[in-house]
Amino acid sequence: MQQNPPISLTIDGKEIVVPAGTTVFDAARMNNIPIPTLCHQQNETPVAACRLCVVDTGARAYSAACIRPVEPGLKVITDSPAIQNVRKGVIELLMADHPTPCVRQQHSGDCELEGFAKNFDATESRYPKRQKARGQDDSSLSILVDHAACILCDRCIRACAEVRHNFVIARQGKGYETTIAFDLNDSMGGSSCVACGECMVSCPTGALTNKKVVGQHLDTGFSMDVQDLLALPVFKGVSGTFLELNKGAVVKRSFKKGEIIFREGDFGSTAYYILSGKVDIFISSPRGHVNTEQEPSGWLNLLKNKLVPRSRHQREGENLSQGYISIDAPVDLAYDNPISQLVPGDLFGEMTCMSFYPRSATVRAAEDCVVLEMLRNVLDVLQKNKTFRAQLDQKYRERALSTHIRSVPIFSSLSEEFIEHLRPRVELLRFAPGEAILRQGDAADAFYLVRIGFVKVTEAYPGGELVLAYLSKGSYFGEIGLLGGGVRTASCIALDHVEVVRIAAQDFNEMLAQFPEIDSSLRKASEARQQENQQRFKQVSSVPVDQFLTQGLMEAQSLLVLDLDRCTRCDQCVKACADSHGGVTRLIRDGLQFDKYLVATSCRQCRDPLCMVGCPVGAIRRKGSLEIIIEDWCIGCGACSQGCPYGNINMQEFMVEGRAGIDETHKKAQVVRKATSCNLCHDFPEPSCVYACPHDAAHRVSPTKFFAEMLTQDGGNKD
Amino acid sequence: MAGLTVVAIAIYVVAQQRHFTGAFGGTGGGLFFGVCGFALIVFHNLLSLRKRFPVWRIGKSQTWMRAHLWFGLLTIPVVIFHTGFVLGGRLSALTFWLCMIVIASGFVGATLQHFMPRLMTQRVPMETIYDQIDRVQGQLLAEADGLIKDVEATAAKSGVLLFKNEEKGTAVATASTSLEPFEELRSVYQQRLRPFLAKRGDYGNPLYQRSNAKGLFFRLRKLIPKEVHIVLDDLENICEEKRDLDRQSRMHRVLHGWLLVHVPLAYGLLILVIVHAISAIRYL
Repeated sequence: MQQNPPISLTIDGKEIVVPAGTTVFDAARMNNIPIPTLCHQQNETPVAACRLCVVDTGARAYSAACIRPVEPGLKVITDSPAIQNVRKGVIELLMADHPTPCVRQQHSGDCELEGFAKNFDATESRYPKRQKARGQDDSSLSILVDHAACILCDRCIRACAEVRHNFVIARQGKGYETTIAFDLNDSMGGSSCVACGECMVSCPTGALTNKKVVGQHLDTGFSMDVQDLLALPVFKGVSGTFLELNKGAVVKRSFKKGEIIFREGDFGSTAYYILSGKVDIFISSPRGHVNTEQEPSGWLNLLKNKLVPRSRHQREGENLSQGYISIDAPVDLAYDNPISQLVPGDLFGEMTCMSFYPRSATVRAAEDCVVLEMLRNVLDVLQKNKTFRAQLDQKYRERALSTHIRSVPIFSSLSEEFIEHLRPRVELLRFAPGEAILRQGDAADAFYLVRIGFVKVTEAYPGGELVLAYLSKGSYFGEIGLLGGGVRTASCIALDHVEVVRIAAQDFNEMLAQFPEIDSSLRKASEARQQENQQRFKQVSSVPVDQFLTQGLMEAQSLLVLDLDRCTRCDQCVKACADSHGGVTRLIRDGLQFDKYLVATSCRQCRDPLCMVGCPVGAIRRKGSLEIIIEDWCIGCGACSQGCPYGNINMQEFMVEGRAGIDETHKKAQVVRKATSCNLCHDFPEPSCVYACPHDAAHRVSPTKFFAEMLTQDGGNKD
Repeated sequence: MAGLTVVAIAIYVVAQQRHFTGAFGGTGGGLFFGVCGFALIVFHNLLSLRKRFPVWRIGKSQTWMRAHLWFGLLTIPVVIFHTGFVLGGRLSALTFWLCMIVIASGFVGATLQHFMPRLMTQRVPMETIYDQIDRVQGQLLAEADGLIKDVEATAAKSGVLLFKNEEKGTAVATASTSLEPFEELRSVYQQRLRPFLAKRGDYGNPLYQRSNAKGLFFRLRKLIPKEVHIVLDDLENICEEKRDLDRQSRMHRVLHGWLLVHVPLAYGLLILVIVHAISAIRYL
């Protein structure tokens, strides 16, 4: 094989010999002659985008050294006042379109462009700055994209394609509007980017920077070397660059048998992956309602029971058929005995990690175990890793699919054979916050079960969008379109990081054919949902919307209003409320005023019940009549209370009987915290506050009817 | 109720015809009215028990209240018919007049409760929960103190005032050649405004009258540079809110104060009626 002969040339008066095909830039570098550059890196194909490496080769124009091949006898001058002047001009032009200091310069002070600008005394550009900002893309958990700082050097594009072979990044747009883009101009978080970090490492400015998880620090005493991490099967395929940049974002912890890893209701920001050993996962909060009443005993209590005849101790609309409680783990807990076990390879705490929801259950080491604790940027990268995803999906299909499907009461009668049939056929899909899972008007082609996160169901109406429901783990959607005309009647949007189980229309229809009772139940539930939606839609369409929007009354379905012209401020309503609920009132006789009516601080049964978003165990929900129901397995984390914009959900302590067998600390009768909100005194024929008002001033009303009629001078129409 | 009153009158007329002279209370008709009156008084007293246990499902409070009012009216003819228009001994007379006072105080209360809520809604736009008035007042005082402290601090520092213009969200700087106006503001605040804000229900204070307060702030605005008028506006609003709280306190006391007469006297009446009944039965 014949080799090209070496070529001799002169650079800055120095005679040098290099192999043929070498570029001037490389020839100079090999001989320790520095040539400045921004767009060129040794491991990437040169593109001569920045023109900073221009050199004088005696030609009519200066050449870009990074792409200019050497020639025999070539005389190159890399530094002269004229060349410096050209380079300074290039830097000035780039600085005119670059924020100073950029994110990178602020954090680490090593923005290459700003470094050159300082050296060339070009920090102040003579050229006008860009008028319209190019914006940022904050969608990725690991990398912040600041288009304003991008100089379009293409280093990230070549790193993604040539170094990592991912081919996610490219340019989009023309001329002055050109930017880098991900896939088909998707957001970085929504693209197929695997967050390997190569682009970030390649970027010479602050256009692509590493996002540390702000305010979150894991105990570095347990941190692992990158090589040790990469040796674990779970990190197979994960970029070492990324792990190096995020050192300390994943730690290895050991727990002795019986040690608590975390407790339900705790706030956290990490997820756990079991390397070895087993853990118990359970809900230790005893079930029970805040207003649970003891059976009367003794003549005094019997008399009291006669005077205060609660019709039932069970909440109307409660999920009596509930078989499983959904938690933030690959398993669901049995309602009657809410404890399960996780094994090596299981991941738990995903929702807390990704969306900062409170812990849904208590986890205790069942035997000596080793777990990896990780921050959300690491979990995000793992979630995008095909090996890891495949492993998780496989585990889900094997262990959780059955209980997950059966956790929906309607599907509790599905046979094991059919679930076995479904096991390989279902799809597990992930959606980023704000992403549409399905849109109103689309063709209905599948049925969905929520596995992780919260889904907002909305229906468009003239002038707005009506929120029909928030669905959490254990809920389903998509059946109305499949059972009806084959068209989606509502849109379903991921509120946070959502995972759904997709059952194709064909399998769904097969299931209905095989299980007529499921078909019948599903049709009934579907009709009920449609009727409720229709009813709400009518209400919204028929009221003077503008009048109420300013006070948020449009969002309410049931308000406790006090006619201030009649109310003598005797507080009998408050006293009655407190007497009905163990001495703690669930209403405050204060709030906003609409005309002569005071809208008391008490649950409004909102159309858009924000309180439902974030419950880690799905204990707050709507019943058929759209009232808010808090189920008895509430763990008292307070997420709903924080979510209510009107301060109408309170955390209340009450005594419950202990429950042996799960948590040693919960054997005896104890005081526990549970969320409470006005339950309309469901166990009485009429809310106590209304019943106790001596002046006919307190009313529970539908605002849309009550105020609409009042405004049209027809007088109020109470519910 | 009118029917019951007519029936009572008819019974009285018939019974009275049989007993032309003497005390009526001890007769059959008199005893009938006595028992009815006693039952009515017991019933009226039960309302307070009903209010103590509002959750008891023994009829809506509103029904009880209506019955209390209407049967209260009926009590007047029943008691009068029981006396036969003759008051008798001291105990009987005392019981009768006490009953009339209780009923009269009830009338006053019913009238107040009919008109006062509307009046309160109109005249106290910044109404708060009655039990929270002290707390809200404390917050207002602290806010006013803070405003004056800011003025003093910045004025004393350099003679240059810097205030945040809340409407525009910008800072306004003004040069002051003399600190005298600010001394005047501080003096007015310490001697007149602060005492008013600090004392609950200071009805005798001239600032309780809105016109006086307006006059004061008008004078202050003339004295103080324009840029500081934001502070004066805030102080005036604080005074307005304090006035509302005082007005609410006063109206609340009027609205519920009559109960201090009505309720104890009603209990006293019940005791007297029982004593009266026992003595009457004993000497029958």
